[in-house]
Amino acid sequence: MLRLTKVELRRLLHRRAVLVLLAACVVIPTLIGIGVAYDTRPPSDEDRAAAQAQLDRDRTSGDTADSLRNCVRHPDDWGLPVNLTDQQVQQQCEEMTQPQLDWYLWTQPLDLEQQREEGSGIFVVLAVAMLMLVVGTTFAGHDWSSGSVSNQVLFEPRRGRIWAAKAVALAGVAGVVAAVVHSGYWLVLDALAGHRGERHGGALLMDCLQLGWRASVITALAAVMGFALTMFFRSTVATLGIVFGVALAGGMVLAIIGVTDAWNPALNLWAIVSNGVNYHAEVACPGANPGGEQCFEERTLTLARGAAYAGVVVLAVGITSLLSFRRRDVA
Amino acid sequence: MIETTGLRKEFRGRKGGPRVAVQNLDLAVPAGGVHGFLGPNGSGKTTTIRMLLGLARPTNGTMRLFGQPVPEHLPEVIGRVGAVVESPKFSPSFSGRLNLELLSDAIGAPRSRVDAAIETVNLTGREDDRYKGYSLGMKQRLAIAATLLKDPDLLILDEPTNGLDPAGIREIRETIRALGDSGVTVLLSSHILAEVQQVCTSATIIGNGRLLASGEVQDLLGSSNAHRVVTPDPARAAEVLTRAGLSPSLDAGVLRVETDDASSVTRTLAEAGIWLSELTPLRPDLETFFLQLTDADKLGA
Repeated sequence: MLRLTKVELRRLLHRRAVLVLLAACVVIPTLIGIGVAYDTRPPSDEDRAAAQAQLDRDRTSGDTADSLRNCVRHPDDWGLPVNLTDQQVQQQCEEMTQPQLDWYLWTQPLDLEQQREEGSGIFVVLAVAMLMLVVGTTFAGHDWSSGSVSNQVLFEPRRGRIWAAKAVALAGVAGVVAAVVHSGYWLVLDALAGHRGERHGGALLMDCLQLGWRASVITALAAVMGFALTMFFRSTVATLGIVFGVALAGGMVLAIIGVTDAWNPALNLWAIVSNGVNYHAEVACPGANPGGEQCFEERTLTLARGAAYAGVVVLAVGITSLLSFRRRDVA
Repeated sequence: MIETTGLRKEFRGRKGGPRVAVQNLDLAVPAGGVHGFLGPNGSGKTTTIRMLLGLARPTNGTMRLFGQPVPEHLPEVIGRVGAVVESPKFSPSFSGRLNLELLSDAIGAPRSRVDAAIETVNLTGREDDRYKGYSLGMKQRLAIAATLLKDPDLLILDEPTNGLDPAGIREIRETIRALGDSGVTVLLSSHILAEVQQVCTSATIIGNGRLLASGEVQDLLGSSNAHRVVTPDPARAAEVLTRAGLSPSLDAGVLRVETDDASSVTRTLAEAGIWLSELTPLRPDLETFFLQLTDADKLGA
């Protein structure tokens, strides 16, 4: 089995398409990271000077004075409480209508927590997982399209071993590459945040790294899913069509047929990556009759729940694929 | 060496019903020599081979390789079987050498065997080129090289000379003959009858998935003492030969005479002043035999 796994590892890493996809797993997060670094860069002296000049121009323009006058005259139109004194109204209207320097300095500081929760971290996880899914698909698809599977079976008739060796090699490469990419991504952003004097290191960095490592497990599973589906369909196109169809329309279809978000594939996967996730479930309002008024209740999908969900799906697909490969004729 | 009993394979047809590719095939290939496996296209040769090698599951029947039931015990005997099934199938973007190395590593064969196989099939110098750049003949030779990685006792070759140029065909035939002589049992599936007649010691002929004939090639062909006789005056020659008790038959100006002593024909005609243009022994050939069998099978079907 070890010998076969080494063979499959060699076969995998000699595929040019696979190498291109693995390179993309490094390049895309790098580009995202460069984008984040650029968007969160501290304003330069030139930026400040330009912002100050714009501020001065706007403060002296008639529009600003008109807005201030209008606000003072009709504070309720501007959303101010009615019980303010004239002095308070004047002060708050000035805050609302008088341009501030910050308004013209578009960048916001590099916040690792924000990047992890709702920023670039999501895109990096998605990009790497999707690329690895394609790696798994193209790896198996190429074997079928070239017909080399039959040659492999002529040398190792225990098809289960071939399937397992390919899956292990694939999961290993996908998991290791993803772990390196995610770790590198967060370590670089952390170093950058430290360089800029923002919050970094310690528990914050560890949380980011752990997200990356959990995402690496998902990425390895994505690669195996792509492989298993392609071994079943024996077609790269069919697998990619189904996977992207489920990714795009799966959640919508579940929502339309009334299945709760707890069964949404994307939400369950995100529960694993982000160590649990909150969602809103539609429930009967307290005291309402059955079928009556509906309220939303915040619930949590735990990591364990997400892992069980993903595990069952991957296991079911994997077993189906393996049994199909063992039983069906090889062309 | 190879035995099948009541072997049957059904595929699902386009209209949903079963399509029988092989029906109740009893095949017996003895150890040693080159055994031809003949049949028209679509007769079930490749399907039979694919079942023997575990690439397809039989619908019914039993199969044995080296006395072991397969596919159950295929892992125990596959190391002794080299096979080329239909067209060669390798990863097109890999070099010939890498394709062979991946296969040899899978069975734990030494790398020296890859070099030896490349040399045996005359691919030296091109082994590091990408497979997709190979000619059909080179691909076929690479497939044969792959069979040699196992140092096999049994070689199963399905149309191995497809796409080869005349020199390549001769080379492969000589290799097959040499392998047969060296003690390797070769099952050679082909529809090129001359190839089988030249190379094989025994043969099995199938049609529509059924066994039509099997045995030593010479036994299948039978013997013949017929001769073709051409003279400028065939009618008179026929009279003379009849008087000499040789019972010739005349067809389209050509005489056919059955005799074990060809010299009696020349002597009799010469004594009558008739000079021969041609005297040719009519040897039985596999093509005629094969066509007789398959035509009869078509009529029967």
